[in-house]
Amino acid sequence: MINPRIDRSTPVIVQGITGRAGLLHSRLMRQYGTNIVGGVSPGGKARTAYGVPVFADCATAVAKTGARASVLLVGAMQLLEAMRDAVSAGILYLVTPAEGMPVHDALKAWRLCRESGTVWVGASTPGMAVPGEAKLGFLPDDSLTPGPLGLMSRSGTLAYEAGYRLSRQGIGTSVWVGVGGDPVKGTRFADLVPFYADDSRTGALLVIGEIGGTDEEEFAQALTAKRFAKPVFALLAGRSAPEGVTMGHAGALVHGSHGTYAAKRAALEAAGVRVFATLNELVEGVTSRLR
Amino acid sequence: MYLLEHDAKELLAARGIPVPAGSLIENADAASTTALPPGPWMVKGQIATGGRGKAGLIRKAATPWEVSEQARAIFQAAPKGRTVESVRVEQRIDAAHEVYIGFLLDAAAGGVRVMLSASGGMDIEQVPRDRIQNEVAEPDVRSITECVRRLAQKLPADIGPAARDVGERLAHAFLELEALLIEVNPLFVLDGGRWLAGDARVVTDDNALPRQRELESLLRARAAAYPDVARKHEHGFDYVVVDTDGEIGLLTTGAGLSMMLIDELRAAGLKSYNFLDIRTGGLRGETRRLTQVLRWIGEGKNVKVLLVNIFAGITDLGELSRLLVEALAAAPQLKVPVVARLVGYGLSTAREVLAAAGIALHTDLDAALIAVRSHLER
Repeated sequence: MINPRIDRSTPVIVQGITGRAGLLHSRLMRQYGTNIVGGVSPGGKARTAYGVPVFADCATAVAKTGARASVLLVGAMQLLEAMRDAVSAGILYLVTPAEGMPVHDALKAWRLCRESGTVWVGASTPGMAVPGEAKLGFLPDDSLTPGPLGLMSRSGTLAYEAGYRLSRQGIGTSVWVGVGGDPVKGTRFADLVPFYADDSRTGALLVIGEIGGTDEEEFAQALTAKRFAKPVFALLAGRSAPEGVTMGHAGALVHGSHGTYAAKRAALEAAGVRVFATLNELVEGVTSRLR
Repeated sequence: MYLLEHDAKELLAARGIPVPAGSLIENADAASTTALPPGPWMVKGQIATGGRGKAGLIRKAATPWEVSEQARAIFQAAPKGRTVESVRVEQRIDAAHEVYIGFLLDAAAGGVRVMLSASGGMDIEQVPRDRIQNEVAEPDVRSITECVRRLAQKLPADIGPAARDVGERLAHAFLELEALLIEVNPLFVLDGGRWLAGDARVVTDDNALPRQRELESLLRARAAAYPDVARKHEHGFDYVVVDTDGEIGLLTTGAGLSMMLIDELRAAGLKSYNFLDIRTGGLRGETRRLTQVLRWIGEGKNVKVLLVNIFAGITDLGELSRLLVEALAAAPQLKVPVVARLVGYGLSTAREVLAAAGIALHTDLDAALIAVRSHLER
């Protein structure tokens, strides 16, 4: 079972820590409370960054710091190689925000993580967080409040907006996983159903989906198979997208009747999910149920 | 990138997959001056979608005069409002069998789904499910080839050897081109076992373009045939005109939130002009991207207001506002009022910068939408 429940003691390294994004996000994650213990910069000369040691590879970083998780702030074309480095060093959690990972690379990475039992969140993810404990990635602090709602999303920004509005209504999140917008991804909605079902600190689940792909349909099947007993809410984007047009996410492409708003909505509702059409309705619906 | 049949066939032919001899004509008049392969012919409109036969984009011709006439008819057709920019004229093949073979990168299964059916030649979605065999292979040549071999055992004996041969060659092509989908339907199998790809549907991964030199140069040479891919490859972000009559230009980031905003505007009876995921993280302190987008939005003849909605988490809104004001000055063709809704870091600086430019800043989306509506009603 995929268990994304990290906490403030989970030792985290940042691969690509000396880059522009690496420096910025190491600082922001640390400010939030994430236990950043080191970084990796292959071939780089830096020995420290933000007061943590920088290593040439993950094996050394793990040996010196005991790191269990890594945030990979490296380019899309270098991602597979960096993931191999992390997996072979025995790191258990990988979060890969880079957009534009080649799909064949993602497929190789997926198989690598399956075989080694590594939890991979991404690619094209804003990250994951246990609010009040730690975050891995870019999730904005304004959207993160501890609470009972499990949250997973394909879209970063739409989840920020939903989390922000729910936070202002006093509804916080238990574990937030941005699964990412790519078609081949390390963690899919359906993969997380067993975790949210068993997690005692999750009282309800919010899934933020969008048109294209089959993630929402698989998720609906998994809910039914697991006899998921907690309330489940969904927000779906792309209702008004023209057919055959890719809107940003590689996964958000509608062909014929596959992956349409109507098909996803029907599948989710058949599994007992309350599907909302607008952010305001979502906030009202979730608030009235959970408050 | 969903390749046009002609381009797909050239790529496959270069990888040892025979196709009927054909030539490309790019306007109705060129049909009479282009050297044709030996007749009789199939005249095939080049548009990246399935169901071309039903849409009247695939026609037979027995004489060069008929080729010209059929090509003219296809160029005049406008399937789903799209125009046909080119036609492939191809030698007609009389085949003993028409087979379907397809490889799909199956995200949920984590592998390559191999599909094979003796009932090719028609829209595969119309073929009963139990007549299409399928199995998931690992993404390597050996696994895919072995998978095709297994499935081919259940085909009629005179098709099997051809299916096995094409399977191996297509497996190489699928991996080399980093395809998301390759379908050959129909695969013509002739008496004696010789085979050719009658049609080819190839979708490749845009993310892999930087290392796919052949596809990159194809895109460069034929940018007009692939406008959306070419634009994204050149500029690095997504922009789509969703309604040419739309009244609201959108300057937004994040695919999900941008789509949701369009949905909510539509539900409220408001028409957006465009979808945009500008990726504020990719602006790198320059106005180039913003100016480009504002100029494109300026082409919308009904656009009456620009709505800026940025919830980017980590973007410095002060810097973003400065860039926006500069970009607006550099895109004078967009003469509409601006409504800005921003959430995140640097809000107070952003408020000052925008106020100096006469732009009101909202943090609440509903309040911004009320402002948008008031501009539309003016």
